[in-house]
Amino acid sequence: MPLIDVRDLSKVFEVPEREPGLRAAAKSLVRRKTRDVRAVGDVSFEVEAGEIVGFLGPNGAGKTTTLKMLSGLLHPTSGELSVLGHEPSKRERDYLSRITLVMGNRNQLQWDLPALDSFELTRAIYRLREAPFLEQRDELIELLDLGDLVNKPVRNLSLGERMKAEIANSLLHRPSVLFLDEPTIGLDVVMQRRIRTFLAEYNTRHDASIMLTSHYMADIEALCERVIVIHEGSLLFDGALGDLSDRFAAHKTLVVTLGEAADLSGYGEVVEASPTQVTLRIPRGDTAAVTGRLLAEQPVTDLTVEDPPIDDVIELAFASGDS
Amino acid sequence: MTFLRIGVMNELQYRANFFLQIIQSVVAVGTGLIVLALIFSQTDALDGWTRPQLLAVLGVFTMVGGVIGFIIEPNMGRVMADVRQGTFDYVLTKPVDSQLLVSVREFRLWKLTDVIVGAGVVVWAVIVDDAPTGLANVAGFAVSLLAGSLMIYCVWLMLTTGAFWFVRMEMLQELFTGLYRAGQYPVGVYPGWLRAGLTFLIPIGFAVTVPSEAVTGRLTIGRLAVAVGFVLFLMALTRIVWQWGVKNYSGASA
Repeated sequence: MPLIDVRDLSKVFEVPEREPGLRAAAKSLVRRKTRDVRAVGDVSFEVEAGEIVGFLGPNGAGKTTTLKMLSGLLHPTSGELSVLGHEPSKRERDYLSRITLVMGNRNQLQWDLPALDSFELTRAIYRLREAPFLEQRDELIELLDLGDLVNKPVRNLSLGERMKAEIANSLLHRPSVLFLDEPTIGLDVVMQRRIRTFLAEYNTRHDASIMLTSHYMADIEALCERVIVIHEGSLLFDGALGDLSDRFAAHKTLVVTLGEAADLSGYGEVVEASPTQVTLRIPRGDTAAVTGRLLAEQPVTDLTVEDPPIDDVIELAFASGDS
Repeated sequence: MTFLRIGVMNELQYRANFFLQIIQSVVAVGTGLIVLALIFSQTDALDGWTRPQLLAVLGVFTMVGGVIGFIIEPNMGRVMADVRQGTFDYVLTKPVDSQLLVSVREFRLWKLTDVIVGAGVVVWAVIVDDAPTGLANVAGFAVSLLAGSLMIYCVWLMLTTGAFWFVRMEMLQELFTGLYRAGQYPVGVYPGWLRAGLTFLIPIGFAVTVPSEAVTGRLTIGRLAVAVGFVLFLMALTRIVWQWGVKNYSGASA
């Protein structure tokens, strides 16, 4: 049985609807008009133990709603949901002590106290025994390179340092499923990389499953072999990151280095050209034929075939969801 | 518990607050005493309560106010802030009872000075009044004080649950603090409709008047039983309201 099993999951919110203006505001005091908004619709997927899955979608696509249903915060409107053999919305003690939820823009450490004191609080909440707690705590401090920072009041830490401390605090109970919502938001590149490396390390050490949302494609590329793309609540794609471009990018890019100048406009759309190097955009399906012709007919010294940058592919995927 | 320790450590960061709080407690009680003196310069008894008995009410009022400030108000305020900022999500992902957790996260240590100053006034009232100080009286006082504090906690938590739907509920705090002032006098002095409201809707009447009756030897066992029964009912109701609220909580969206 998969670790996370999601079947036809839907979530519909009832939201108040009201026109702008004072009169409409007054009217809505008496009778509130509501409208059903489908945040997630018929989404199904499975995640196995030890997998790191990237969860992609534009703002408002339903990523956070799905993560909240997985972590037991929201009751699904319909569909089935099972994580670690539990139904999350029951919020059973045993379930909650095996998962964690980290939201990059929301803190839970005590602002005025050193992180170590907040760690003690977490220990009390999860009822952790001293020895495993200390072992896990020290391992996290070491892996996240926190060092002395845990002795400083949290308010004196930089954003990145604070995020590392937040992550440590969320993993003290050694969860086997991690739901991470934008864990690297607002952090600089160095700090993002640090957290990425850490997550990969935690994943291998404890065979933990991670579901991660991020707007930084670098996070996804570095961590996730598999991505799930949702758009307007529906699942658009579920598979290897590499297959994403096969599916959504209709073109490939050929970079041709020539021994002598030549006109290559007959082979495809010329994107960039210098006397000895030409970049061509060609339909994906023609790749083999065009490269073959180029090698046979032109003074080619080097040739590379590239997928478009992943950011562009994602954009294309979202655009395909719109149509 | 660890929570209390952390709360105390948080408070110790701001030592100046301690002295401010002492001054505040003393000034508040002092003002209360002056008002009492004014009342009794006009009359000998207020709704059958004599001067030392009203002193006891003032003492209990200050003590319960201290309990509210120590644990109830800060925790309820924190729930509202958490709901508004979306950090309430973290409460619900913890493997502990959410109602218990939100009720013991914050402590304003220095507010305990109100409890101590109030207790001093109560003791003074007992001496002046020459009231009975048997074990039964002390036990009755302790039980009714606990019951009174629990009532206020229950009502406040139920109102706080409203934050799950309405998000902005800060004015509630103000409202409650304002109404609590009415508890400075025995509920009997108020007209009927207000008395009923103060007793059952916002059980300030119960919370302050009943322990005061215990101090001054006026409390009957029947009345104490009603108070305890009412507390148990409120606690059960609060539990239901809380669980219903949590179930309907949809969270501040990301």
